[in-house]
Amino acid sequence: MVESTIIIQIILWGLVIGSIYSLLATGLNVIFGVMKIVNFAHGEIMIMGAYISFWFWSILNLNPYIAIIFSMLSLMMIGIVIERFGFRLIRNTSKLNEIFLSLGLIFIIQNGLGLAATPIRPVKIISPVQGMSLSLGIIDLPYDFMIIFLVAIGIMIVLYGFLFYTKIGKSLRAVSQNRVAAMLVGINASKVDMITFGIGSSLAAVAGSLFGMLNTFDPYTGTIPAIKAFAIIILGGLGSIPGALIGSIAYGVTESLGTFILGGAWRDAIAFALLIVVLIIRPKGLFGEGKV
Amino acid sequence: MIKLINGFKSNFFKLGLIMLVFIIIFPFILPDQYVLYVLTTIFILSINAMSWNLLASSGQASLGHAAFFGLGAYGSILLANNFSLSPWFTIFLGPLIPAIMGLGVGLLVVRLREWFLAMVTFGFAVIVQTIIANPLSWLTNGWNGLRASSLIVLTPNLRFIVIYFIVLVAMLSVYFIIHKTFNSKFGLAITAIRDNELAANVSGISLIKYKLLVFIVSSYIAGFAGALEVHTISTFISPEIFSPLNSFWPLIFSISGGIGTTFGPILGTFLIRTFWEILREIGGFESMIIIGFILVLIVIFLPKGLLPILKKVINPQRS
Repeated sequence: MVESTIIIQIILWGLVIGSIYSLLATGLNVIFGVMKIVNFAHGEIMIMGAYISFWFWSILNLNPYIAIIFSMLSLMMIGIVIERFGFRLIRNTSKLNEIFLSLGLIFIIQNGLGLAATPIRPVKIISPVQGMSLSLGIIDLPYDFMIIFLVAIGIMIVLYGFLFYTKIGKSLRAVSQNRVAAMLVGINASKVDMITFGIGSSLAAVAGSLFGMLNTFDPYTGTIPAIKAFAIIILGGLGSIPGALIGSIAYGVTESLGTFILGGAWRDAIAFALLIVVLIIRPKGLFGEGKV
Repeated sequence: MIKLINGFKSNFFKLGLIMLVFIIIFPFILPDQYVLYVLTTIFILSINAMSWNLLASSGQASLGHAAFFGLGAYGSILLANNFSLSPWFTIFLGPLIPAIMGLGVGLLVVRLREWFLAMVTFGFAVIVQTIIANPLSWLTNGWNGLRASSLIVLTPNLRFIVIYFIVLVAMLSVYFIIHKTFNSKFGLAITAIRDNELAANVSGISLIKYKLLVFIVSSYIAGFAGALEVHTISTFISPEIFSPLNSFWPLIFSISGGIGTTFGPILGTFLIRTFWEILREIGGFESMIIIGFILVLIVIFLPKGLLPILKKVINPQRS
């Protein structure tokens, strides 16, 4: 029964990587829902989060899981700055400008990180329970997998509570449903935009920090995961948070199995093939009502 | 003629002529290999930027132009190497491969807009790179790459000057073709589509026909630029040619010059690439950060690029 053990391990890996993608995709999705923009530099923001955790861990010897909190706070600030001095200034101009602005951000962040992390080498955050696992008979379940999964679920629950039970969260949803009407009832839409971008970026920071515990990364690692997150929110439906969650898990498992069957060189191409297929068959996504 | 000189674009036209004469006599004044190499690269990159800009003029901003650029180059090299054809022939034949691919991608994305199109084209470049490097490695030699035959065989010093002129003629021809295209019914149709798809459609413009046509033409020209590049400057190719950076450069050049204009991409390529050559001295990361900031500032403060400023300087009485 070696085969089935391997398959279970692959699915397990898919679930864990899927839960990381879900954080990344949800960040992108929240920003899209409220501001109707797609931040192409989301992957670079994620890697910036990973590096901040890495530095807190490697320089200050902080527990990596606690370093994530600092990473989240830093990226929230950076996200707010990017919104205030970047995306807000091109609001209501051509849609293409958002793509171009994000590209500029990619250049700045990638090379800024490159400068800060010279000499560039792939790094990894080593968690305190690295290599330890819970034996469950036929398979071994690493503790890191469980913690990552729980952190991702926990953050999703907190986000859900924030969006549905706090005043700011409700105003976020109001702006996302109808910007003009929300402004008419006295919601400061610009402030909501800033908060949204901050939240989206801090979600990316968590995703990056967790990603950095499972994989090695360098300043250029972020682009591909961001595209995968984009594929996921299209798969799950633009603006739909449960859709993004289910899409991420489904995608993580597909990627894991696909890579096992086709070989590692195909891992990134699988993401795009899936994206293209979904866009052709069902451009609204599996759960969404968004307009393409 | 008098009307032309005194007319609308008089100063602009004169300046263009002076620049052209200067570019033609330049290699004889300063036959420096490095400077000629940089200028030749700029000419080729301008062709690529013009092709990107043509596509963007129809509202379709591709983030995977490196795929067409690279496929043209691979097409030309493979035809030249495997069928012993002259590169003079294959630089026109090879780009038919990206043109066909462009038709395919165009069909995929014809209903998509902005972000979705950008993602699909970006993904297309990644898929093409994977396919060229792995399953097709028996043909393409994978990541080790292939040697390309040179367009002309001469002593190095003379070769640089001759290549300079070949590429210059190619750039001017593409400029002329795109200039004609923009002022034709085709050009008016694609700008109408960019400005308002619905309005264009109800005025009887076939969206699908024009969007696909512009995709084919743009990918052919990009492929031509790629084929020209590998047979003149680099004489070598590897799947590195499909890297995202190669997709982003034409975009940066076009935006800085002036998106949707004919001369903008050339102006942008000249300014940004020259600036980048100088910047490279201070270090790779620093120069790319500066390029990133330039892009951000241009998008925010000069969405029409630098061309309107140039026009204002040259023709102060008109605007």
